[in-house]
Amino acid sequence: MSAAGTVGAVAQVLLVAAGAPLLVGVMRQVRARLEGRAGAGVAQPWRDLRKLLRKEPIAPHGTGVLFRAAPLVLAGAALVAAGVVPLVTTASPLDGIADLFAVIALLALGTVFLALAGLDTATAFGGMGASREMVVLALVEPTILLSVFALSARVGSTNLGEIVTTTLHDPQLVVSPVSLLAAVALAIVTIAETGRIPVDNPSTHLELTMIHEAMVLEYAGPDLALVEWASAMRLTVLLGLFANLFAPWGIAGTSLLMLPVALLAFSAKVVVLGGALAAGEVFMAKLRMFRVPELLAGSFLMALLAVAASFFLAGP
Amino acid sequence: MSGGLYVHALDMAVGALLLAGVLALWRRDLAAIVRLFAVQGAALAALVAVLGLHEGHAATVALAAGILVLRAAVLPLMLRRAMLAGGAFRETEPLVNVASSLVAAALLALLSFAVTRPVVELAPSPATRAVPVALTVVLLGFFVLVTRRRALSQVAGFLMMDNGITAVAFLTTTGVPFIVELGMSLDVLLAVLVLQILTSRIRDVFGDSDLDDLRELHD
Amino acid sequence: MTNPTGAAFCAALALGLLAAAAAALPRRVRPAAVGGATAAAGAAAVAAGLSAMAGRPWSAWLPDLLPLAGVRLAVDPLGGLFIAVTGAVAVCAAVYAAGYSRPGRDGPDAGHGLDGGHGLDGRAVQAMLPLFVLAMLLVPAAASVTTFLLAWELMAITSLLLVVAEHRRRASVGEAGLWYAVMTHLGLVAILAGLAGFAAASHGESFDRLREAADGLPPAVRSAVFVATLAGFASKAGIVPLHVWLPRAHPEAPSHVSALMSAAMVNMGVYGIVRVGLDLLGGGPAWWWLIVLAAGAVSALYGILQAVVATDLKRLLAYSTCENMGLVLVGVGAAGLLSVSGARTMAALALTAAMLHVVNHAGFKTLLFLAAGSVLRATGTRDLDALGGLRSPMPATTALFGVGALMASALPPGSAFVSEWLLLQSLVHALPEGGTVAAVTMPVAVAVVALSAGLAIAAFTKAFGVGFLARPRGAGAERAHESPPAMIAGMVLAAAGCVVAALAPGLIADGLSRAVGVAAAVAGPAADPVTGPVVLRPAGMPSTMSPLLITVALLVAAVVLIGVLRAAAAGRARRRARPWDCGAGPASARMEYTATSFAEPLVRVFDDVLAPDTDLDVTPVEESAYLIDSVRYRTEVADRVEHRLYRPVLAAARWTGRAARPLANGSVHRYVGYGFYAFTAMLIVLAVTR
Repeated sequence: MSAAGTVGAVAQVLLVAAGAPLLVGVMRQVRARLEGRAGAGVAQPWRDLRKLLRKEPIAPHGTGVLFRAAPLVLAGAALVAAGVVPLVTTASPLDGIADLFAVIALLALGTVFLALAGLDTATAFGGMGASREMVVLALVEPTILLSVFALSARVGSTNLGEIVTTTLHDPQLVVSPVSLLAAVALAIVTIAETGRIPVDNPSTHLELTMIHEAMVLEYAGPDLALVEWASAMRLTVLLGLFANLFAPWGIAGTSLLMLPVALLAFSAKVVVLGGALAAGEVFMAKLRMFRVPELLAGSFLMALLAVAASFFLAGP
Repeated sequence: MSGGLYVHALDMAVGALLLAGVLALWRRDLAAIVRLFAVQGAALAALVAVLGLHEGHAATVALAAGILVLRAAVLPLMLRRAMLAGGAFRETEPLVNVASSLVAAALLALLSFAVTRPVVELAPSPATRAVPVALTVVLLGFFVLVTRRRALSQVAGFLMMDNGITAVAFLTTTGVPFIVELGMSLDVLLAVLVLQILTSRIRDVFGDSDLDDLRELHD
Repeated sequence: MTNPTGAAFCAALALGLLAAAAAALPRRVRPAAVGGATAAAGAAAVAAGLSAMAGRPWSAWLPDLLPLAGVRLAVDPLGGLFIAVTGAVAVCAAVYAAGYSRPGRDGPDAGHGLDGGHGLDGRAVQAMLPLFVLAMLLVPAAASVTTFLLAWELMAITSLLLVVAEHRRRASVGEAGLWYAVMTHLGLVAILAGLAGFAAASHGESFDRLREAADGLPPAVRSAVFVATLAGFASKAGIVPLHVWLPRAHPEAPSHVSALMSAAMVNMGVYGIVRVGLDLLGGGPAWWWLIVLAAGAVSALYGILQAVVATDLKRLLAYSTCENMGLVLVGVGAAGLLSVSGARTMAALALTAAMLHVVNHAGFKTLLFLAAGSVLRATGTRDLDALGGLRSPMPATTALFGVGALMASALPPGSAFVSEWLLLQSLVHALPEGGTVAAVTMPVAVAVVALSAGLAIAAFTKAFGVGFLARPRGAGAERAHESPPAMIAGMVLAAAGCVVAALAPGLIADGLSRAVGVAAAVAGPAADPVTGPVVLRPAGMPSTMSPLLITVALLVAAVVLIGVLRAAAAGRARRRARPWDCGAGPASARMEYTATSFAEPLVRVFDDVLAPDTDLDVTPVEESAYLIDSVRYRTEVADRVEHRLYRPVLAAARWTGRAARPLANGSVHRYVGYGFYAFTAMLIVLAVTR
């Protein structure tokens, strides 16, 4: 456990916590500009959060502890993931407690609590959102684990620090078919996990189409602020993870001097990915709910091909 | 060509070949399938060119150019014309739904990897190691041929199968005699012409190119 | 007797017999006495099992107890593991049963056992419970073929009697009992044939003798023995397609019996496969293990898919048992396969993961079945579509079921997460050493494990969210009330066990590695497959994971967040408001999402596999076809394997029966004559062939 690692871990948690709403702001701004609108500014999500925090907390009749605990679990899981995943440093002291499987499961834990909260409201919307979210969650799982399989097979470990360090030392790995296929697969599941178009539309409030928004429909005030903030952190962590799995350059190891560079590099990578995602969304429509399995089956196929390629194309 | 670059270029070309096949299975839009077929033809040409450059065969490189012209330009254009004339632009109802066919494709890929293992172990080289991928393309093309209803997507499936067979041939033998490849390509061209004529005849008679309608001939 | 394992094991057996004798006590004290004694027997069994896993094996030969062969017992670490698991489940179930079997006090259908002497506190039912536990303790301790088969049959019969305990209350119980009786005895025939053949070929029937002789047997005999026993054991473990009895028998049995069957008895199937395949036969060719792996994978996927769509709470749990046993067999199959290709470290890891999953599954399935029994007792229904809103009337049961659901759904900090993590590690890292077979099977296995983990999350979210949260959907749920303390105590015990297993799996790592070491085929030269009390380190790879630290980190994060919220938020009091109802007046319980609607998208996605039977009936009013008078929608997801596979067999059996009817015309002379003809015919055959 190095001092640089500890400082880096704290720095990346703080950066994700503070920067996640800004990332959402950037993405909305990119979208607005491409659609010919002025946009509300990059800091608007933070202003929204401040406004929500000042409001009175409201809970629907008949909801219990779980409804109140769900935002906490969601945000807590995102924070822990932000500490574990090598975003800024590969030497996080938390790296050993959770590998890639555990990080994915941790994020799923937050989703499950949110789905339970949606069911707890006893409204049709809550149930609808929970049910759809569970479908996406269940179908995404095989792709994620197979991509992990493909990426970790060449490293011999599923620990994230290990995978990123290996890629850092051997950049040739990135332009192999294994990496490309796994990247396509992971990109699709990242979109599905973060509830972006074409799987879910984060800005819709139309009953027939919403997934995530239907689950959190009953949240208001500070609870809603927590949910929104947690969703933004989740997006940041997943984009950052994606970026560092395939382009880890700029990440800090055990040296303290690299940290500022790493922070900048991470922010740049996430902003570029987020911007690209937002720009892509302008040109796409949301898929019908029952076309989503096709998309996920496609990503599953990519992931499986990646695994197969990692074994069969590997030279002696 | 240096060793590392050769392996990378080869892997990439084979990867593109496979990816185009997979995407063709995924898309319902016939125009997109035709475009993907063109991309696959280009990938095949690139594959042959890489092999030719590595071996230093000028004839193989020339053959690559021929493949490029035939499979990335001529055949797709013909398919496109057939599609425009046919008036059907979507593969509406495949016999096996898209999600299941993608999962089936995954299993087919594993199957071809398992089957070609002995071949690869016979003479392990970057080229033979890519043989399973090419075989997967063959199987995918076959699968498209079996499960799609539209005559046009079936033709595309047939052509993709042929792309795969060509790729297998080049990867295993490093250099098919020029004349053989020429004859094969001519065969394919002829087959497509015949199929095109057949398709248009079917359409004229039945007003549609859904091959399930052919069952009516039986009664 | 100086051996602590033996002493504890004998104490367990004696206490079990004592508990069976306690059934003779008067009804007032009977449930408490039997429950207490059975729990003590279970505790002694846990001690015996743990002592064996700590490396103190015990064996005994009682030549006079049975004619011809005598009884041979041996508790080695592998058997000890299963004895400890069975004992622990028995403790929870017995404590729970003391409350569950008591006549209910709150109205006619609030509890069981109101119908004369045939309730759950009846003498016969009470005596069966300890005997069933006893039989399950004897199976993993048996060290000869006769002892094993006797214990196995005792287990089958006692469990069958317990399944049909409530046959006077519901007609479906009888049918479930019939299915179970037939399947379990067909399984017994397969095992009997396999083990008898094995014993005959190796000229001796003690397990030691079999072990010595196994190597010298011709491959065809070995394969025949393996396949026959595999079929029998897989049917006991509820592996698709031999699972049909399980989703019938488990829901219909009294809930503590369901817990015992689902958490302890099905394990015996796994035990049998490991004991015969990996220990006695000492491993075999790759195709054996491919069969095991494929059966496990099919079972995991099919089981969890059926669980996702099930609306009966106990049926859901029963199908989840099929899934979990499938995952265990994936681990066992992978272990066998890897040992064939020489990757011993990975093989040992896969088997360790499978064994850990057996332990974890036993824990959470006990808890879940007991909690489901508590719900059944309080509401009189198992139908999720009629449940809901149990949070306030049954806080303890709700919380405990919630813990169980979390443990079962492969999410941190759950216990299933730990074992599935280990399983995935062994599958993922098997690649470099495993060869082509591994390269083709492992990705598929990983995908299967992943998909079943994802669907399990959906299934348990449904069970907990629809069954316990929200508002009551039926009259039974509205009248619900909390269960008596003894039942809650049983569930708390199970929950405590689950939590310990989830947070500190390292505690039993030593015992597990000894248990795995018994399986000769995978016992590697390397160190323990998994090490580390806090941070789990699988051998042979740099991956690490620590469930305890993840939980601590989650708690710290939650506390920090609460602090930040306190500081940042306005600090105004929480207000209750009406949920959003689209302005159409207060939403009623009928507008809630039900279990059926929750699962509907998944039914559509897996349409090809589940083949649901759906009817849509639209009746227009007489005057116009465009005005709809009523719409009737009915959907049913039946067990497709049962329909496709068993229906034709049953129809054929019925046809044969009908065709053979003229043979039985009621004349006794004729029946005796059949016997005579058959006997003479046999003698003639003998005379001709010899």
